[in-house]
Amino acid sequence: MLSFQDVCKRYPDGTTAVDQLSLDISHGELVALIGPSGCGKSTTLRMVNRLVEPSSGTILVDGRDNRAYHPVELRRRLGYVIQQVGLMPHLTIAENIAFVLRLQGVAPKQRRRRAEELMHLVGLDPGLYLDRYPRELSGGQQQRIGVLRALAHDPDIILMDEPFGALDPLIREQLQDELKRLQKTVHKTILFVTHDMDEALRIADRIVLMRDGRIVQAAEPEQMLRAPADAFVAEFIGRHRMLRQASEVAVADVMIDNPVTMEVHAGLAQALERMRQRRVNSVMVVDSGGRFAGVARLEDVTRALEQGLPMRVGDVARWAQTAVHPDDPALNAMRQMLWYRVDAVPVVAEDGTLAGLVTRSALAGVLDDALRVTGAEPLAEAR
Amino acid sequence: MWQDLWQYFSTHGYEVWMLTLQQLYIVAIPMCAAILVAVPLTIVATRVPRLYPWVIGISNAFQTIPSMALLVLMITIGLGIGLLPAAVALFVYALMPIVRNTYVGIAGVAPEVKDAAIGMGATKWQLLWLVELPLALKVIIAGIRSSLVASIGFATLAALIGAGGLGSLILQGLGMADNAIVLAGTIPAVIMAFVAEFVMGRLERWLTPKGLRG
Ligand SMILES: Nc1ncnc2c1ncn2[C@@H]1O[C@H](COP(=O)(O)OP(=O)(O)O)[C@@H](O)[C@H]1O
Ligand SMILES: [Mg+2]
Repeated sequence: MLSFQDVCKRYPDGTTAVDQLSLDISHGELVALIGPSGCGKSTTLRMVNRLVEPSSGTILVDGRDNRAYHPVELRRRLGYVIQQVGLMPHLTIAENIAFVLRLQGVAPKQRRRRAEELMHLVGLDPGLYLDRYPRELSGGQQQRIGVLRALAHDPDIILMDEPFGALDPLIREQLQDELKRLQKTVHKTILFVTHDMDEALRIADRIVLMRDGRIVQAAEPEQMLRAPADAFVAEFIGRHRMLRQASEVAVADVMIDNPVTMEVHAGLAQALERMRQRRVNSVMVVDSGGRFAGVARLEDVTRALEQGLPMRVGDVARWAQTAVHPDDPALNAMRQMLWYRVDAVPVVAEDGTLAGLVTRSALAGVLDDALRVTGAEPLAEAR
Repeated sequence: MWQDLWQYFSTHGYEVWMLTLQQLYIVAIPMCAAILVAVPLTIVATRVPRLYPWVIGISNAFQTIPSMALLVLMITIGLGIGLLPAAVALFVYALMPIVRNTYVGIAGVAPEVKDAAIGMGATKWQLLWLVELPLALKVIIAGIRSSLVASIGFATLAALIGAGGLGSLILQGLGMADNAIVLAGTIPAVIMAFVAEFVMGRLERWLTPKGLRG
């Protein structure tokens, strides 16, 4: 479907951006091209649609050397999505989605119909969006349109260069899920550049890790997690994501390092504002030395405020029913949670300082993976 | 004095009107030529970066030369006096703001928008017509607007080399030390500048794509 054969790219200034890259991508596969900034991911992608010409080597698109196509014809066979989205600010959403069709001379009525069709495909209300302009949309909505635009002419291959890189985490995950779902229905071959391992693990059928213009490892996500080719790969995957036996996973691996904390002397209104901002219903309270001093819950803070009590955060803090040590097995934290029926357990180091917080959801994700490796029943289903 | 002015208008109204019309085409013809030359030339210069310093440099020089000197220059290069040298002077004088704004407008189109358009398979012409020009239009019109207003002022000087127009009335008034006649030439010229400013402002708004307004 898409094949790189000994592709090299050396820029006029002497930078070797891509070095002897060979890769075969089969039909319907979503391949994530990942690596540190400057390792040649974008260059690799842009050589496919000839925004960049390779210095040597061959790229086959549908089994045909991509230099055999006229660049314009080649690009019209491919979809292209970029991080900065690049919607046409002077065109409506409908016109933006069908822009490729307009380039190809499709009649306005058909373009409109196709735009509506695509909106339905991702469950957006055409009436609500089609006649608006890009600047009226949020970043996430704009990139949704950016993805739809790449589907308008029904290309077999779609190139995506960090499409969700500029979005905030929540929206990013939504769009990743949507893309995955879309991929299942439309069966496109997707080359997806990212520098975010979580993203690659979430959406890719295969991950290709690059470094200095070369492929270090190309493997299915699961395999890459279990058997990183070398220290660089392991480092890139990150310690907390490596698959281990459930019993080996420590609290430190799964805890949130920066839970929402407040000093004992902080005011109640301040605490309320903080909780509102970070969307949590409790904050960890610490003394001036960073030692754990309890948990202030939203309901207690609000009640004290309503009654106009002259209290500080420290006064409403309750002692946590339980706490764990960073080196404790994560399963231990799980047990505590189930026993005390709490959603989160503070992590306290030997000197009494607050090291983090284990939440039910963080724990579930990690242990779920770990247990799957061990072959046990996943936690998600046991619940 | 206002009475004198009124008197003058009532006796020489037709003459003032004719001079105003003359003034209008002294401005309009070189302006149209300037637009037709400057816009395409600058578009070419956005594609061939080597060209731009020349295009902007030369048009800049024309505007920097003091207006009087520019008119005299026309005579010295052998164009003589009358309408032709005035039109040529106005033409070169009008280029710079159009060149500058056309360049700024097109160079100012966000790179990601161009990258997306090219990546989707836009041809060079499609990129220009469907993306760059619509997005640059507002800025280009603003350039034409400042060029036009400056030209209307300049055009009154063209009478010095015998091009006619409202300037000849002003010169006549100055020669006869008759303020009424000077005003009879100045007032229509001022009104013309205001009308041009207003119309171009409207045009600018009207031609701005809806997605960019607000
Ligand atoms: N147009 C260019 N001219 C010269 N060097 C470039 C150009 N584009 C990218 N590079 C260099 O090539 C290398 C790879 O760049 P790129 O493919 O953009 O990496 P990535 O997308 O992985 O961050 C980098 O060192 C970058 O500085
Ligand atoms: Mg990049």
